[in-house]
Amino acid sequence: MNDKLIAVVTAGLTTPSSSRLLADQLSAAAADELSGRGITSRVETIEVRDYAHDLTNNLLTGFPSAELREVLETVTAADALIVVSPTFSASYSGLFKMFFDVLDDKALAGKPVLLAATGGTERHSLVLDFALRPLFAYLKALPVPTGVYAASTDWGPNAASLRPRITQAAGELVAALQHETPTQADPFANPTPFEDLLNG
Amino acid sequence: MQFGVFTVGDVTENPTTGTTVSEGERIKSMVAIALKAEEVGLDVFAQGEHHNPPFVPSSPTTQLGFIAAQTSKIILSTSTTLITTNDPVKIAEDYAMLQHLADGRVDLMMGRGNTGPVYPWFGQDIRNGIALAVENYALLRRLWREDVVDWEGKFRTPLQGFTSTPRPLDDVPPFVWHGSIRSPEIAEQAAYYGDGFFHNNIFWPISHTKQMIELYRRRFEHYGHGAADQAIVGLGGQIFMRKNSQDAVREFRPYFDNAPVYGHGPSLEDFSRETPLTVGSPQQVIERTLSFREHFGDYQRQLFLMDHAGLPLKTVLEQLDILGEEVVPVLRKEFAALKPAHVPDAPTHASLKAAAERARELETIE
Repeated sequence: MNDKLIAVVTAGLTTPSSSRLLADQLSAAAADELSGRGITSRVETIEVRDYAHDLTNNLLTGFPSAELREVLETVTAADALIVVSPTFSASYSGLFKMFFDVLDDKALAGKPVLLAATGGTERHSLVLDFALRPLFAYLKALPVPTGVYAASTDWGPNAASLRPRITQAAGELVAALQHETPTQADPFANPTPFEDLLNG
Repeated sequence: MQFGVFTVGDVTENPTTGTTVSEGERIKSMVAIALKAEEVGLDVFAQGEHHNPPFVPSSPTTQLGFIAAQTSKIILSTSTTLITTNDPVKIAEDYAMLQHLADGRVDLMMGRGNTGPVYPWFGQDIRNGIALAVENYALLRRLWREDVVDWEGKFRTPLQGFTSTPRPLDDVPPFVWHGSIRSPEIAEQAAYYGDGFFHNNIFWPISHTKQMIELYRRRFEHYGHGAADQAIVGLGGQIFMRKNSQDAVREFRPYFDNAPVYGHGPSLEDFSRETPLTVGSPQQVIERTLSFREHFGDYQRQLFLMDHAGLPLKTVLEQLDILGEEVVPVLRKEFAALKPAHVPDAPTHASLKAAAERARELETIE
């Protein structure tokens, strides 16, 4: 049971979506890279679309449904994370952001993350560095240097140039994953003793 | 075991008629609910404290005093008293006063409040919420237990030779519950003092509530107040009943769908599955409420939220009749049969007074 868990959060809206296509190629490349180093892994892919109602409900009620709680726990427990958002109005999509709005803001601390996005044209590619990277910096995750952006043409005439970017980013994710990720203290298991609270 | 109702005192539009009661009507309806609660044999009436619309109860002891004058048995409590933004000196005075007027039928539930803007109105900062709850409550305890207090802290003007008046009735301070939904520090505080811990679980899944209550019980034992299963636990609940469960669902759904807290979110069915909300027959409410014990252990106080989401007073009073006549008598019997002898009841003025007298007698003997 030394499998590394790679969680994939992808926020495409259609079936199949180009975000999911990219997500699958990234997670396969990361798994390949790990197996090349003799490390077994498993991939859990989360389609945010499937939890769209649960996410809204969580924002309104303050707690996740049982189904949503399970995927939030998967992401929290993962050794590494791959995220893919479509580009909407010059940023990640609202649905993508909702997932990270309801996730505990400490859940990604110290976790290697591969940033990826899709869009209609190459002209949006800086969404990776101007929208996704600051979000994951705020969450204290460790985004790897290479992000992967795929435009429509990357699925056709430019497919050959997408492949090396995927391999590069997956390699960086695996390298980062081999460092220890810090574990979070459980405030219910180890509450701050009251004398410490009293003494401020 | 104690059964009762708690109200937050919101003024909410009735979504089925589009009408909204006035503040005055709402205040009087809270009184009517309290009187009804006593009439149908409930043990506790608790009311919230808020300082912003759409809520009316900014002055709980005025209202509870008015209710005390018209009742003789029911315990008057709060849900909650803002230990963060109120001056602990004023809390000590107000509730000792109420205790005298109500012949000891008073306890309190401390809470921090849930809206950021309230803090600056009272010169505080929500980021200090926990620290305020800790310091203010430590002072409050001393004011009720020591005749003359010298005190200096971070958040309030120092006190020199201060005596809070009136002194608590029979020198027995009101019992205190600490209410918190998600702060382990407050469960820890309740455990440290051996006070009660109330989890207002009405909007929360069981897994979460369980985590908080288990922490409180474990730390209660750690601090030497008794075994974990002797800790004093209170829970919320939210119900709507009709003889036929389908009628209950049909009648309550528009209120649910438009309620301020969860309206326009999950379906009534999903929310009922995740939280203690029970909409159905009295028998379904009995079964659901009994199941709380299986998750959280034997507990001492069960409060129901009956009057929110714009439900008309007439409906709320009908609900209280059903609660008092058909539900609580069965719950009393069933819970009592299941409760082991070593698990205590919630402290009351009478039991705390008797305990204080026993302690004094022991001292005299020694």
